[in-house]
Amino acid sequence: MSKYNILIIDDEKIVCDMMKLSLEQEEGYEVESFLNGTEALERLKEKKFDMVVTDFKMKGIDGLEVLRTVKQLYPKTAVIMITAFANLDVAIEALREDVHDFFPKPIKIKDLKESIRKALP
Amino acid sequence: MNRPDGVSSILKTLGGSTTKWLRNRFAPKLPLADIYRYFKEVLESNNHALELITDMGQKLDGSYIFDINYIKRIYPELADTLRTSIERFNRLTRNNYAIEPAFTHIDSLISEMIYGEGTTGDDSILFLDDVQWFRAREVGGKSFHLSELKNNLHLNIPDTFVLTTRAYDEFLQYNRLKEIMQPAEGRQPDAKAVQDAVMAGSFPPRLEEQLDKILQTMHSRHGAEATLAVRSSAEEEDDLFSFAGQFETILNVPIVKEDVIRACKRVYASLFDPNALAYQERLDYAFGGLRMAIGCVLQIDPVASGVIYTANPVSGNIDEILINATWGLGTSVVDGTIDVDNYVVERGKSPRIRESKVGSKEYMNVLDTTQPGKIKEIPTPDDKKNLPCLPPALVLELAEKAAEIEKYFRTPQDIEWALDAHGSIFLLQSRPLKIVSPQVKADLPHYTHNTDSVHQPFLFKKPGVVVQKGIAAGNVYVLHRIDELDNFPKGAILVAHSDSPHFIRIMPFVAAIITDTGSVTSHMASVCREFGIPTIVNTGDATKILQHGGEITLEADESGEITIVNGLDNSILKGRQQHIRRMEELYEYRRQKYILRHIAPLNLVNPLADEFTPAKCRTLHDVLRFIHEKSVQELIAISQHGLFGKPSLLRLDLDVPAGIHVLDIGGGLSAKTKSPLSADDIASLPFKALLKGMTWKGAWNTQAVALNVKDFMGSVGRFSVLASGASGFAENNVAVISKEYINLHMSLGYHFNLVDSYCSEKAANNHIYFRFVGGATDIVKRSRRIKLIDKILVEFGFNINIKGDLLIARLSHVEQEEIIETLTMVGRLIAYARQMDAVLRNENDVELYTRRFLEGNFEFLE
Repeated sequence: MSKYNILIIDDEKIVCDMMKLSLEQEEGYEVESFLNGTEALERLKEKKFDMVVTDFKMKGIDGLEVLRTVKQLYPKTAVIMITAFANLDVAIEALREDVHDFFPKPIKIKDLKESIRKALP
Repeated sequence: MNRPDGVSSILKTLGGSTTKWLRNRFAPKLPLADIYRYFKEVLESNNHALELITDMGQKLDGSYIFDINYIKRIYPELADTLRTSIERFNRLTRNNYAIEPAFTHIDSLISEMIYGEGTTGDDSILFLDDVQWFRAREVGGKSFHLSELKNNLHLNIPDTFVLTTRAYDEFLQYNRLKEIMQPAEGRQPDAKAVQDAVMAGSFPPRLEEQLDKILQTMHSRHGAEATLAVRSSAEEEDDLFSFAGQFETILNVPIVKEDVIRACKRVYASLFDPNALAYQERLDYAFGGLRMAIGCVLQIDPVASGVIYTANPVSGNIDEILINATWGLGTSVVDGTIDVDNYVVERGKSPRIRESKVGSKEYMNVLDTTQPGKIKEIPTPDDKKNLPCLPPALVLELAEKAAEIEKYFRTPQDIEWALDAHGSIFLLQSRPLKIVSPQVKADLPHYTHNTDSVHQPFLFKKPGVVVQKGIAAGNVYVLHRIDELDNFPKGAILVAHSDSPHFIRIMPFVAAIITDTGSVTSHMASVCREFGIPTIVNTGDATKILQHGGEITLEADESGEITIVNGLDNSILKGRQQHIRRMEELYEYRRQKYILRHIAPLNLVNPLADEFTPAKCRTLHDVLRFIHEKSVQELIAISQHGLFGKPSLLRLDLDVPAGIHVLDIGGGLSAKTKSPLSADDIASLPFKALLKGMTWKGAWNTQAVALNVKDFMGSVGRFSVLASGASGFAENNVAVISKEYINLHMSLGYHFNLVDSYCSEKAANNHIYFRFVGGATDIVKRSRRIKLIDKILVEFGFNINIKGDLLIARLSHVEQEEIIETLTMVGRLIAYARQMDAVLRNENDVELYTRRFLEGNFEFLE
């Protein structure tokens, strides 16, 4: 069985690490993570991911830009946006760009996994 | 205050407590309305703080992804809430208690951890006797545990002084070592160059001076012949991870400044050994990120030494204590190189030695009296080889001490001990023992042994001992020399003659480890358990039976059963758990856990105990507990001394031992105002309803419910004082009432109830707020009780929020009649749920006892 590829982008190392660790506990997920949007977009140009989980607020390329780029390159790839606090404006903007889900931090791992499960084909 | 000299001198002569009493006696009395207002504000802030603490505990328990911003956001709110609580408390008690300094101490410790590392003391070297709890991080895990054994349990620890992490920082700074540790961008740090620079470095003059003074004291105490064991005590060592065998220990070091400095430098340099670096990398440390403290322990010349495990680390059985022993120094026990004595002691009212296996002990390690700083291995004299190192009485004495230590640290322990020529037992180390948690065991799939396997199992000379259970498959790599580890292929199974801490280097990619010799108590065994590597030791001849390069499948289970077969065996492998890193291996995750340690645990439980003082508050939760209890006592004191000549807090006598005092703030009582009150004197509508429920026939069950060992372990996990029993502190509960209002804070044993209710003719004003938290049993049982309460309250329309073992239920805007009926039910539930955590054996019981309660049947089944 081939594995689903998941890309994580967050400028907080602990968030990337915890998320990677939690998702790798699940059978069938292959996870890569990046601490900034620039490197992540480079990787996205090389490889198609089934799911992208990105932080909203990052230095340089932010989460919305990641979302837009993903949707341009791979319209079917689902994107989950995370943010340090619940921000309605960001959520609306992200919804316009066809974000799959939106999580404020701290993120309940069970909910995140459930959301990913639903998004994947 | 300016007092005439005479008055001041009289007060001075009378002493501190008398002057405090005089000050309070003549301080202006507060009006009743103010007393109640401050009391209520204290309770409100405390409740808010407790909710924040519970939320933090839940967010940091591994089920949420977070970053430091979460703590940075929530902690200031928590600290401010505490400050409010303290300010109101000080008004209520007229500054009678020094709780503010206790809070400030803890707050600055937490702030340092959140906003930047720092140290809390000025001295860089100190004796173990002077180590206080808030300097734990500075003296490192190993030394801190020893200080706790010495200062709090008064156990026999060799005289010890500690060079703190502050000394390490000073050493780095003086020798400009940070520059070597952080090379120019793009270049890798050179560990060997750092080690060389450490060994070439000098102690800063101030540090050397301090060391000189300390060594002079050691000299005068122990004489010129005495020597030291210079041991690593890194910041996190012996904490969530053991770092077992990773750093240098130098034994038999003369008490001479130059020798001690050289030994210390060797310990510092060992931070940068390849094995130690691999371990640090695995635990997410940046190069040079871990700081080192050093314990200089008076060297014991032991007759025998060994290790104690207060639980079986493989089976998770906490009813047995494992002890091993060998002649001379204990180094061969932790190296796993010789066949030592093994004892199993069964716990219970009368502990007994269940197993006693005398090892052959071919060799022993002793101090080399001809060469300072050295030890030597000698053949064990023939008459001692098969002689047990310990008589049964000493085995039991060691087990008793170990159990005491475990109780203090509230978790199973891995303890090093030594017996000197005078028959005195010394304790040299105590650290948490990694065991399989019952939760993890329950989650593992039940796999059957390979009855349908086509492969024949290998048979070894000895049955083998399971150090870490698990299933693995891969190619055998037979190791002959340690340097061959450099070529170890990823995913292979390591087969070696004896175990070694060097194996840490391959831990990230070794599938399993099998050795000819070794024991469950070696350093390598500790590390394998920490990282979940399936490991079997003491097979006798695995290096001869298993072929280098051959493919094998192995299974080792918690009962000690071992199956090793040739080739890939799918019937075994289908039960394999994928080995993955644990959250604890992430540095930031651990850091936040450590911060939480100064916030959430509750150590101060029994207000009747001598240590119920501000000085004993180690966490913010302790501060809250102290404030709560003393606020209640303040109200009780007012009742005893009277307010404006009239007693205001009255004891309530009930048929059940609820220990309630009543403060009436208007219309809550009928005319009678003499203590003790009876239930008939209560005019408060909501309190009357609640009492009706609490005293409901049969609801307050008087059957004794026994707590088992696991319950006990669960409770010691959170509370430090158990011996006085639950009933000793069920006396100080206060109900503040009016005609239409009740606020009842009630602790019953180890759990806490809060009921706040308004019950008027206007439904819009009415509410019931019910809060339940805690218990004496483990979290699984406490959670079952919370489920039961949840299920019952849902039936009555409550809106419920559960966080761990805290339940908050709200019901509002209902008619007076319904409030009264519901409060009667809540009263029954408070009585019924009292011992329910110990009664509920499984999830089915939750359903059963919920149903019985709703049917009005309150009896416990046998």
